[in-house]
Amino acid sequence: MVAKKATPIFTSKEDGNFHEALKLYDAKQYKKALKLVEANLKKNSSHAESLALKGCIIQHVGNKSEAEAYVLKGISKSPENYLVDHLAGLYYRSVENYAEAAKWLKAANDNGSPNKPILRDLSFMQTQIRDYKNLKDSRQQFLEHQPGYRANWTGVAVAYHLNKDLGSAVSTLTKIEGIIKEHLTDADRYEQSECILYKNLILGESGDIAKALATLENDKPEIKDLLSYMEYKAKYLMLLDRKEEAAVVYRQLLQRNPDNVSYYHLLELSLGTVTKPVDLRLKLYEKLARFYPRSDPPKYLPLTFTPSTNPKFEEKAREYIVPQLTRGIPATFVNVKPLYKNPKKLKVIEKIVLDFYENELPKINNPTIYVWIKYYLAQHYLYLNELDKATKCIDEALAHSPTLVELYIVKARIVKHRGEFAKAAVIMNEGRELDLQDRFINSKATKYYLRANQVNEAIDTISLFTKLDEGVLNGCKDLHSMQVNWVLVESAEAYKRLYQEYERKLKELKASGEETEESKELENELIENVETYKGLALKRYNAIVKIFKIYFNDQYDFHSYCMRRGTPRDYIETLKWEDKIHATPIYTRVLKGLSEIYFEIYAEQEQKKKEQSPSSEESNKHKKNNKKHKKAKAQTNKKKADFSARVESEKDDEDPLGAKLLSELTNEEGIIDKLFQLFKPLADEAKELKLTNEVLFKLYLLQGKYVLALQTIKTLNKILTTYDDIKLRTIGEKIVELSEVSHNDSSANTAIVKVVEKGLVSAFPEFGTLPKEEFLKIYSK
Amino acid sequence: MGRDIVSLDDLTANNIGVFKKINQVTLPTSYPEQWYKDSLKTDQIVKLAYYSELPVGAIRAKTINSSHKFGSYENMLQQQLNPKIVPNAVYIEVFAVLEAYRGLGIGTKLLNYLIEETKKKFIHEVVLHVHVENTASLEWYLKHGFVKSDDILKDYYKSQGLPNPDAFILSLTV
Repeated sequence: MVAKKATPIFTSKEDGNFHEALKLYDAKQYKKALKLVEANLKKNSSHAESLALKGCIIQHVGNKSEAEAYVLKGISKSPENYLVDHLAGLYYRSVENYAEAAKWLKAANDNGSPNKPILRDLSFMQTQIRDYKNLKDSRQQFLEHQPGYRANWTGVAVAYHLNKDLGSAVSTLTKIEGIIKEHLTDADRYEQSECILYKNLILGESGDIAKALATLENDKPEIKDLLSYMEYKAKYLMLLDRKEEAAVVYRQLLQRNPDNVSYYHLLELSLGTVTKPVDLRLKLYEKLARFYPRSDPPKYLPLTFTPSTNPKFEEKAREYIVPQLTRGIPATFVNVKPLYKNPKKLKVIEKIVLDFYENELPKINNPTIYVWIKYYLAQHYLYLNELDKATKCIDEALAHSPTLVELYIVKARIVKHRGEFAKAAVIMNEGRELDLQDRFINSKATKYYLRANQVNEAIDTISLFTKLDEGVLNGCKDLHSMQVNWVLVESAEAYKRLYQEYERKLKELKASGEETEESKELENELIENVETYKGLALKRYNAIVKIFKIYFNDQYDFHSYCMRRGTPRDYIETLKWEDKIHATPIYTRVLKGLSEIYFEIYAEQEQKKKEQSPSSEESNKHKKNNKKHKKAKAQTNKKKADFSARVESEKDDEDPLGAKLLSELTNEEGIIDKLFQLFKPLADEAKELKLTNEVLFKLYLLQGKYVLALQTIKTLNKILTTYDDIKLRTIGEKIVELSEVSHNDSSANTAIVKVVEKGLVSAFPEFGTLPKEEFLKIYSK
Repeated sequence: MGRDIVSLDDLTANNIGVFKKINQVTLPTSYPEQWYKDSLKTDQIVKLAYYSELPVGAIRAKTINSSHKFGSYENMLQQQLNPKIVPNAVYIEVFAVLEAYRGLGIGTKLLNYLIEETKKKFIHEVVLHVHVENTASLEWYLKHGFVKSDDILKDYYKSQGLPNPDAFILSLTV
């Protein structure tokens, strides 16, 4: 930050010192700056600017936990001092608290700071927290300060666009286009093209398609991205119902890329052939196949729409499959697999392949063709879940060509389908050893080890492809810093299965009622294992939660970068993606796992509360035993240290086993609230997800928010019930549970309980008319 | 296309598993781990053969002096030529092609490679042992110009647990 220009004579020596310190702070000379500030504070302990600056300095050098206190003190002394506000804004930005940062940067500006770049920083904060309403103002004000840069105009247009004020966005973009027209250099051409297409995108969104198309044609000389130009044009023509012209554009697009399946669909839409007889459509594709003989879609797509009863289907399928089998194409099965959804088509294809196997294969002199067809058949029978037949095929292939890596993958998959995870991992690894350079099978082997709960083997395997710093045992740290989420989530799930297994054994042991020395020892060991693996599961899950926070924070740089580079279209896409980031599959998997552990711990906490007293006695018992174990302990400690080193997620990991995470969760109150915080983003981003509603239902019940719980049941009923007449067991149970819990809750507002009851009855009428047992019988599917 | 469907390639640390696998399924004899590690040393003649990019065959040979006598298979495996002694023959330790891929010219290609390498070392003799019951191999070698010596090595494969563990000695002048 820059201090006031043309510094006036300071009213006090403190102010002078402070400005000196500010300069040093900007030059990153924190130690010197700190000295000056502290001298100031000695004289005048309530000098607000110095307090705020001290907070900022010790955020960089010193005890970070004290920083906020100084900033807050500074603010409380003089909240209307724009320098204090600005420093507070900077502090909160550096701790990634964007909402507070936005608040104070805005205050700095409102309180008359002459420092205009604050506005730009403010706009980044506002985008980060999606405060689009105020974003518009800060972008606009900054533009007025610096109208000479196109980036600032684009920024304003984006702000309008995000506010859905499409008209203003378009007029802003048009205005700068007019201003800049005469001054464009070659280097600006790409930005120009992107901004023009961005304007067009907004025009299209606004619904005035005719205008969008006219503008697009008018701007064509300026557009470099001809693919987008053509795609926009074709789309507009379709929307304007000028289908013949659209068809011409789609044909041009096909010429550019005859492997893009969607162009074929769109071409058919524009030609109106989708509803025409199959023979006509087949003719169209025959023609297209002649034009593009090397492309797959014109040969494949007819198989998707030709009914299996039409004799043409078999003919076309034969034409498609037999050449692939003859050439021994490994992906043949994958190519036709989508057709298998239709069981009748599956039968026809099976006939074609078996026919080829029996009649054509013997005439072929190339032994690899035999392997690939066996490979096909193994996958075919695996798909049908005829595991014995699949095993037979793959074993024959393996006996024939034991050096072919792909065969091991399918063999392992078959074994996995039998539920023998450890055996499957061994087979996958056998294949991996044939070609250590093959990353694909390396990943597969890693995954199969994880599925077999052999985490160490898995990490050792994938460590072949990670960065190994000196003195490092394996790639575990690198997997974290490279954000290899799939390994982390699979590890977490493996650890979770492991601790659950030990928990099961522990229960069995306790149920057996044995009280010998050995059983005690075994019990201790089991308890320890449960805790270790539970901690590790939490640790890995949390690592992914952290990574997703990084993903979200990382967009920060793009708020300025994309404006400068002139890529607003991609920027808007990125923002949209970030808004849904928590609904992505890996993250929801993490939340599923976490919610299960959290609920489990919560149940244990509740259990403990009920039987408070005996626990202290038990711990005494444990102590008595300890003496004997001292010797053994030294040994296990070394083992433990080795184990910790293997699972460390970062250098000098303070909590390698996640023990701290676990004890924080188990010993503290508010675990339900913590889980709720984790699911909050999902309530927005993945409203229609089963997981979201199921977990939120449980949480709302525990929190006594019954109306919201009712809402989740309704949503679940909507997303799970695909046919109107099916009544699902889980829905029925939830209805009864909600009703019972809310009635039994003595602290609940009776009016609310009534509202919930009414809501249940109106959404699920049978609930009002039938007794519970009868009702549950209906909801039993 | 246009390229030969059979091709040869080097053995590397990453595909040594393939070499192992081919030996395991085609040869009755077994080799220790260290022997495989030594395969990567430069004084060996080693090559893998590929059919349609699929590894299907392998050859490995070393230089020896034929005046030395080796009574058994283990002896032969462990033998390292003293650098002071001039080698006068190349001895084939492993020569294998997967069963399903025989009769396609893969062995011939490997043998030709070996002969070229032998000549480069200014050596003019290739020797090897064949199990007396392995008539298919014997015929193949004879067809390719090898000559069977009248001597039979008694109990050469004894430690490998083969029935009738004697071996023929074959040699080829190049």
